[in-house]
Amino acid sequence: MTVTPDHSAPAAATGMPAAKAPAPDTSAITVRGLAKSYRSGGRGVVNALAPVSFTVGDGEFVCLVGPSGCGKSTLLKILAGILKPSSGEYRIHKQGGAVADCQIGLVFQSPVLLPWRTVLQNTMLPADALELDRDAMRQRALQLLDMVGLKGFEQSYPSELSGGMQQRCSITRALLHDPPILLMDEPFGALDAMTRDIMNSELQRIRLESGKTIFLITHSISEAVFLADRILVMSARPGRIVDEVIPDLPDRGSLDVMTTPQFGVAVHRIRKLLGIDVRNRPNVD
Amino acid sequence: MSIEHNASSAEILPEENSATGVAMPTKARNYRGLLSFGTLVALLAIVEACVRGFDIPAYIFPAPSDIFRSLYAGFAAPLASRSAFYTHILTTVSEALGSFVCGSVLGIVLGGLIAEFPLLRRLALPYVIGLQSVPKVALAPLFVVWFGLGISSKIVLGILLTFFPLMVNTVAGFAGVEKDRLELMRSLKAGSWKTFRYVKLPSALPFIFAGLEMAAAYSVLGAVVGEFVGGTSGLGVLMLNRNAALDIAGSMAALVLLALLGIALQKLVTMARNRLLFWAPSKDVLRNAEPEPD
Repeated sequence: MTVTPDHSAPAAATGMPAAKAPAPDTSAITVRGLAKSYRSGGRGVVNALAPVSFTVGDGEFVCLVGPSGCGKSTLLKILAGILKPSSGEYRIHKQGGAVADCQIGLVFQSPVLLPWRTVLQNTMLPADALELDRDAMRQRALQLLDMVGLKGFEQSYPSELSGGMQQRCSITRALLHDPPILLMDEPFGALDAMTRDIMNSELQRIRLESGKTIFLITHSISEAVFLADRILVMSARPGRIVDEVIPDLPDRGSLDVMTTPQFGVAVHRIRKLLGIDVRNRPNVD
Repeated sequence: MSIEHNASSAEILPEENSATGVAMPTKARNYRGLLSFGTLVALLAIVEACVRGFDIPAYIFPAPSDIFRSLYAGFAAPLASRSAFYTHILTTVSEALGSFVCGSVLGIVLGGLIAEFPLLRRLALPYVIGLQSVPKVALAPLFVVWFGLGISSKIVLGILLTFFPLMVNTVAGFAGVEKDRLELMRSLKAGSWKTFRYVKLPSALPFIFAGLEMAAAYSVLGAVVGEFVGGTSGLGVLMLNRNAALDIAGSMAALVLLALLGIALQKLVTMARNRLLFWAPSKDVLRNAEPEPD
C-alpha cells in the first residue's frame, strides 16, 4: 500500500514570497498567536482559545493533550477551516502530490458517516465534494478499505457496522483525497479500551506506511505517548500550550512499547505538566 | 494484516436484515393477513346482527349488507349516470391528488427557502404563522365564491391545508441537520449546493416524509370540505345528496370510498418512504409498538 507520492518538492517552488516564510519549509502547519473568542449572550466575551503558537513538521505525528474545555477542538476546527480565528494566523503549507485542493483530512470523535450511503459511498464522499475522478477514486477507496480491514463490507450500511468499523470507515474517508495532513479530534475516544488499542496500532501502521503529517487531539496521555513523535501539553482555561514532550521510545510499531520504562517516563512528565499529582487525587481524566 | 481482518469479520453480528426493511417471512405475513381479515368479517357480522336484531331503521343506521348493496349499485350503474360513482370518484381523486402534489411542492420549496435564507425566514414567518392560526376550513365558503363550484376551489383549500405541515417539517428537517455533518462538508470545501445535495436534503427527508403523511390525510379532508360547501360532483357531494334523500346506506358507501382513497394515498407515501428512507428508523409509533413476531 503505497498511497502517498513523496512530498519532497520544496514548498518554495510554488512561488511563495520568501519574506512571508522565514522558517525553513519543512513544516506542514504553522500556527502563530491563534486565538478564538466569541460573544455569549449572558456572559460577555468567552475565550475559547487563548493565543497559541506552534509548528508541525512535514511527516510529523503531533498529539495535543489537555483537559476538557481548554480549546483543543476549537483549535482543530480552525485548522480544518470550519471556524474562523478571532486573531492570529495559521498556515497549512501546500504540499506537492496532493490529489485535490483540499490539504487536510478530518476525523471526528464520532464517525459522522451518512446513514444513507454504503461504506464505499461514504469513503467516496470527498470525491463527490471535491469533484475528483470517480473511477480512480473508486479504485483508491477499495484499496483503503482493504487496508483498514473493511474488505467485504463495501456495500454494507453504517448501521450494520460496529463502532470500531465505523470509525475505520471514517478514516478511509479522510484519506481518500490523499491529503498530506490528517487532523483528528479524539478519534478513538468513543471506543472501548481494547478496540482503542487495536485502532491505535493500526493508525500507527497507516502513518508509517503513508508518511502523512498527523495532528491528533486526545484526552488519553498513554495514547498520545504511544502515537506521537511530539506531544504538546495544553493547560486548562485559559488554554495555553505549556510545554512539549518528545518521548524517547525504542520501537513505535508495537503496543508492547507501552510497558517500557521510557514510556512511563514520558507519561509521568505529561501528568506533571498537566498538574495531575498522583498523590493528590487526580481531578482530570 | 490478516489478523486484523479476522478480528473485523468477527465484529459483524449475524442479526436480521434490519436495514432493508424485510420484516417477516411470507408465511407469517399470510397468517397475519388472514387474522386481520377474519376480525373485519367478525366485526361486520356483529354490527349486522345488532342492526337486524334490534330492528334499527335503515334511515338511522343501515346494516353493512345494505352498504355493500349500495356500493355495488353505484359501481354497476351506467358510467355516465348520476347515480354511478365513477365521475364522483374521479372528481375527488383529482382534487385530493392535485392539492397533495401542489401543496407538498409548495411547502417543501418554501420550507427549504426559509431554512436556507434567514432574511426570508424573518420576513415570511409572521405571515405563515398568522395564516396557520386561522381555521383554514372556515375559508372554504370564500374559496367557492372566488374560484367557483368546480375543482379549483377545492384544490386551493387542499393546498392551504397540506402546505403548512410540509413547510414546518421541512424547516425542522433542515434546521436539525447534525452539526458534525455540516462541518465535515465544510472541511471538504464543499459549497452550499453540494452540502445541500449530499447532506442537508437527505438528512431532512425523514421529516419531509412525516409531513407528506399528514398532507395525504389533509388533502382528502380539503376535497370533502370543499365539496360540502359547494360543488357539483365528488364523493362529498354524493354524501350530501344521499343524506338529503335519507339514503344513509348510500351516504356510508361514499364514506367507505373516501376512507379507501385516504388509505391509498397514505399507502403511496409509505411505499415511497420505504424505498427512499430504508436507512432511517420508522417514525410510525403505532406500528413500532407491535411486538415482534416469534
